[in-house]
Amino acid sequence: MESKGDIIIEVENLVTHYGDTKVLDGVSFTVRRGEIFMIIGGSGCGKSTLLKHLCGLLRPTSGRIVFQGSDIASMDEDQLAVMQQSIGIAFQSSGLFNSMTVGDNIAMPMVEFGSVDPSLVKPLVRMKLSLVGLAQAEHLMPSDLSGGMRKRAGLARAIAVDPPLVYFDEPSAGLDPIMAAGLDELVMKLNKLLGTTFIIVTHELDSIKLAADRILMLDRGKVIFLGTLDDVEKSTNERVRQFFERRADEHIEQRQLA
Amino acid sequence: MTPTRVRCPETLDQDTGRTLFEVVCGKKVVPADVEIDLSATLSMDSFGGAWILRIAEQLRNGGKTAVCVGAAGDVAAFMDMLEPGMQRPATDTRVDTVLFEEFGGEVINFTKEFREFLELCIDAIYWTLVAPLEGRGFRFGAFLDELHEMGVRAVRIVCLMNFLLGLIIAMLSAKQVEAFGLQIFVANLVVIAFARELAAVMTATVVSARTGAAIAAEIATMEVQEEIDALRGMGISVTQYLVAPKLLAMIVALPCLTVLGMFSGILGGTLWGIGVLGFQPSIWYEQTLGATSMGDIGQGLLKSLFFAVAIALIGCHNGFRVTGGSRGVGRMTTRAVVMDIFTLIVIDIIFASFFYYIMK
Ligand SMILES: Nc1ncnc2c1ncn2[C@@H]1O[C@H](COP(=O)(O)OP(=O)(O)O)[C@@H](O)[C@H]1O
Ligand SMILES: [Mg+2]
Repeated sequence: MESKGDIIIEVENLVTHYGDTKVLDGVSFTVRRGEIFMIIGGSGCGKSTLLKHLCGLLRPTSGRIVFQGSDIASMDEDQLAVMQQSIGIAFQSSGLFNSMTVGDNIAMPMVEFGSVDPSLVKPLVRMKLSLVGLAQAEHLMPSDLSGGMRKRAGLARAIAVDPPLVYFDEPSAGLDPIMAAGLDELVMKLNKLLGTTFIIVTHELDSIKLAADRILMLDRGKVIFLGTLDDVEKSTNERVRQFFERRADEHIEQRQLA
Repeated sequence: MTPTRVRCPETLDQDTGRTLFEVVCGKKVVPADVEIDLSATLSMDSFGGAWILRIAEQLRNGGKTAVCVGAAGDVAAFMDMLEPGMQRPATDTRVDTVLFEEFGGEVINFTKEFREFLELCIDAIYWTLVAPLEGRGFRFGAFLDELHEMGVRAVRIVCLMNFLLGLIIAMLSAKQVEAFGLQIFVANLVVIAFARELAAVMTATVVSARTGAAIAAEIATMEVQEEIDALRGMGISVTQYLVAPKLLAMIVALPCLTVLGMFSGILGGTLWGIGVLGFQPSIWYEQTLGATSMGDIGQGLLKSLFFAVAIALIGCHNGFRVTGGSRGVGRMTTRAVVMDIFTLIVIDIIFASFFYYIMK
């Protein structure tokens, strides 16, 4: 039986390229069941890329990603699909389907996976929408929503079928502070009440301090910090300190893309 | 009247929830208000919660109420979290229109769209023809890029299509005149047909499917992603920035492609005449040359000029009108191509009736 504390995802020495550009360079970490695991780092350091590897959307150049005992890189399409159905993903730019209403968007995984009693779809959609404060938007089209509302609808879709593992890519970017705080609360509640594992990419210091069990910091594709919030206090790495103290660079650094 | 009390099982999930629902709402008439007793429940998930929502809704429809009691610990917290969802759902506010309203709406939409199109035309003419002379700038680099994309890269497909069409026309007409021994006049037919009609229409059709669709899709995507708003926000004229280079490039490219189309079509006819009908190359050549007139070619080219303006402006117009995200982009692209082809035929008919009957 799966229980809290098991390793759910293990990443070993992940290296990946876009064309000739190395984006991730030897990333290794493990995530345990029931954890809220946050990934931080400057923009463009490869966080979204890492998430896409974790759900099998991109294939690494080398290295292993072990999901519940099997390597994602060696899975075939069917195995990958089964794995992906147990993951809820909210992308950085919502990823809502523009051709259907918000309600239908959230109903879609329930209907497609076929694991949900058809008569439950409606109340579930309503429940998930009210969890993210969008109860009134059920019949609107995504193009009629504001950016922040679209984001929240994307989150509602990600948690539609109570997946055991949820990925959020910058969930609170574009949300007002009240909504962002509500979101942290929602994450912690789902984590506590359903035992959902969360892997969250974020820049919000407040939500990191409030909710994170462990934190991974990337910089130019390398892991420069991995540990709990207490470990952050002890860290001597300059960039980690800078991030948590919210200090600007002396000059805005021009990253070399080569 | 005291409410009926139902006890929930230890775990409330999709299956046990269904049982609960059947117990409470299975009978035709629900006798009384219901109290759902959660005191024995230790864990629940969203599906269990959804069943409770369904029970509550069912009872509400029958004028009764359902309340949850006795929840403790995690279950209480979960029920708290679901609380907002227990209230009345959002109503679908989209209204059905009656036939008459719909008809009126169509008329208003059409007038609006026509007006927008006229405005675009005027703007485009200004920014393409007048503004550069006034020194207000024309994006020459973009124009060259577009010219390459619309013109140079379409050469192969345009030549191929016209060549094949020439072959088909020769095949068909040679069969028809075979009995009279007039096969040499197939050369005349091919030349005249391609100079006046076929090259211009065929080329414009290929180009509207290729470039007209691309223009609409590009602009629609830009609109959807707020790139157009970004341009406007910078105080840049969208017509100058996007439409003018495309329009001028199309005006230059399409007649050039049409000339190539004429050559390829006639080449296709010639291939059939020499290769299959067995005429001497020199005889076919003389016949072809004799049938060629500058007036016919001029007609074809003049027409292709109008086609070019139509394709570019219809593409841009439909792109700007997009609503509703990616689905809208697809719809507008389709609409642009359909409108293009329809407009081509209309222009062609106007020209044909003008040249063949009025001008003679
Ligand atoms: N599809 C792509 N093709 C090429 N390069 C990409 C692509 N997506 C992202 N990159 C590059 O990879 C790096 C990491 O991107 P990303 O993972 O999106 O960063 P972030 O940490 O901000 O989410 C960036 O330098 C970006 O320019
Ligand atoms: Mg990102």
